[in-house]
Amino acid sequence: MMCNEIWVIAEIRQGRLTRSTHQLLGAARKLADERNLQPAALLIGGEQVHAEELAQKIPLVLRIENSGLETYEAVRYAHALRQLIEKRGRPKVIMTAAGSSGVEFMPRVAMRCDSGYASYCVDLFWEGEEPACRRPVYGGKVYEELAISTVPAFFTVRPGVFPVPENLSETGRVETIPIDLPEDTGLRIIERKGISPGKKDLSEALCVVAGGRGMGTPENFKLLEKLAEVLDGAVGVSRAVVDAGWMPHDLQVGKSGKTVSPGLYIACGISGAIHHVLGMNTAKVVVAINKDPDALIFRNADYGLVGDALEVIPELIKAIKSKT
Amino acid sequence: MKIAVLIKQVPDHEALVRVKSEQELDIENRYVCSFFDEIAIEAALNIRKNHPESEITAISAGGKKAVDALRRAVALGIDQVEHLGDESLEMADNCYLAYVLAERLKAIQPDLIICGKQAGDDDFAATGPMVAEYLNIPHVSAVVSLGSDADANQVTLGREVEGEIWYLESNFPLLITAEKGLAEPHVPVVMRVMKAMRAQIPGIPLNELDLKDKKQQGRLRRLRYTVPPERADVAMMREPYPQNAAELIEHLKKNGVI
Ligand SMILES: Cc1cc2nc3c(=O)[nH]c(=O)nc-3n(C[C@H](O)[C@H](O)[C@H](O)COP(=O)(O)OP(=O)(O)OC[C@H]3O[C@@H](n4cnc5c(N)ncnc54)[C@H](O)[C@@H]3O)c2cc1C
Ligand SMILES: Nc1ncnc2c1ncn2[C@@H]1O[C@H](COP(=O)(O)O)[C@@H](O)[C@H]1O
Repeated sequence: MMCNEIWVIAEIRQGRLTRSTHQLLGAARKLADERNLQPAALLIGGEQVHAEELAQKIPLVLRIENSGLETYEAVRYAHALRQLIEKRGRPKVIMTAAGSSGVEFMPRVAMRCDSGYASYCVDLFWEGEEPACRRPVYGGKVYEELAISTVPAFFTVRPGVFPVPENLSETGRVETIPIDLPEDTGLRIIERKGISPGKKDLSEALCVVAGGRGMGTPENFKLLEKLAEVLDGAVGVSRAVVDAGWMPHDLQVGKSGKTVSPGLYIACGISGAIHHVLGMNTAKVVVAINKDPDALIFRNADYGLVGDALEVIPELIKAIKSKT
Repeated sequence: MKIAVLIKQVPDHEALVRVKSEQELDIENRYVCSFFDEIAIEAALNIRKNHPESEITAISAGGKKAVDALRRAVALGIDQVEHLGDESLEMADNCYLAYVLAERLKAIQPDLIICGKQAGDDDFAATGPMVAEYLNIPHVSAVVSLGSDADANQVTLGREVEGEIWYLESNFPLLITAEKGLAEPHVPVVMRVMKAMRAQIPGIPLNELDLKDKKQQGRLRRLRYTVPPERADVAMMREPYPQNAAELIEHLKKNGVI
């Protein structure tokens, strides 16, 4: 059984729809329009207010309801999604953000549906009647384009690759769909804590201010935090900084850390090793600040400034403040 | 406790990978056991330190390259290894590969299966979750810590979920995928490397498995490889310090970046 729909699985963080969700709503509407399909947002768990907010942006909101869905867990999410597919039929496409939860539960559902799944996509498009994606492989050294021949096509999309659509205005309808869940999946959450309390989420941020070993000491990262604050951005770091124990791993950008695609990435005292660059080369605008005019990072930047980051950052903060 | 580790041989991080044609890549001949898979191996060895009776099996599926990943596993201290299938699996899509691995794992019946977070070639991060789904067992991706209290019944583990760290408790069987931080791979001792070079790597042909449920490919169709978009030439700030900071902000403002 099929249905002529494209589903975006919405994400809520700290009580709000994430920016990636908005981006994907825009992408789904475009894909749907091109093939005369119905775009819909899926809310797994989530509250009525979020359903209503989504309905102002997309014609159909499917709210999957079960009290067991209040906190995220891969097995439960996979169950929920599978049941919705059984009830409504297979949509053409199911997509969500390639965050830590998206890449965890989506492959499970794809396996159960015996259908194609592609992760960390940076673009989605139609290849004839088949949904297709572009995605980095070999750590981003090359890209591949894949079409998915089976239904539904499952995609997880890197945050930040699509623009936030400007004026989506709808009076959509909300359908609430109750589902059953297994009593016990074998997994129990015993504790949750913020690793970097009060900090902005790196993978969602529109601006990332990143520091490397060139920042000199852990204390100097306070400077970066200030710069991030005036730019409403998040702080990221290189692996050298994590290995030195200066900053926690959850802030690491790169091959063995997070992949970010912000509008603006400012690299301070980072040499630009390939492993680092692979995590940020999809940023729209890159600024590099480095003492060494030959640093590799300048080859991956739009704007370069040769200088001492510790001197330049306070000046940047001043310049930003004086102009706003 | 029975532990299975799934590993894959992939191009080294430093290896040159270039687009040769739409359908073909030029890959420098420098292959290693995938970065996160070595972490997975080390995590299994760490459990064995606390539970010396544990049996660890490392499995790699695919063509001849898989043998090298398994030799690496032997060098690192794993005694039982299996080379599953043959070159034909290199053409299979991720669902089928996971299915083959899962069918083999059904026979081994491990309590804990450890994969890498994602393989250094296709970067899918899909095999682990897919194997777990097929086996109908829970899984946790990108695990950063495993409790040393692991016993025959349950284990505690930590993972990052969008800016938070979650501690979970799970029964066995369980599948996890290894994130950086879970374990620190060690450098193998020379004796083990010698042993690994001579080791017989047992192969399990696909016809020993009961594979008829799924077709081998057809879910994903590669249209083409493309070159990553290139950044335009960098614009360097010309003013001396401290004016260069204002100059930079000027540029960013003018171009609507901030
Ligand atoms: C398998 C593998 C995976 C890896 N994964 C990652 C990853 O995910 N992320 C990552 O970042 N790295 C990763 N690395 C490490 C990577 O190769 C580099 O070693 C690392 O990125 C270097 O960090 P850095 O640029 O901060 O330090 P360095 O290379 O030491 O560079 C410091 C830079 O700061 C500059 N500098 C010094 N003082 C100042 C100053 N006062 N003002 C301005 N500039 C200054 C210097 O000129 C230099 O360019 C990985 C490596 C391997 C082998
Ligand atoms: N051919 C294979 N043989 C054994 N394990 C594999 C194979 N391919 C992938 N895996 C495992 O699955 C993980 C994720 O791979 P991938 O889904 O390709 O990103 C790897 O880190 C391995 O642990």
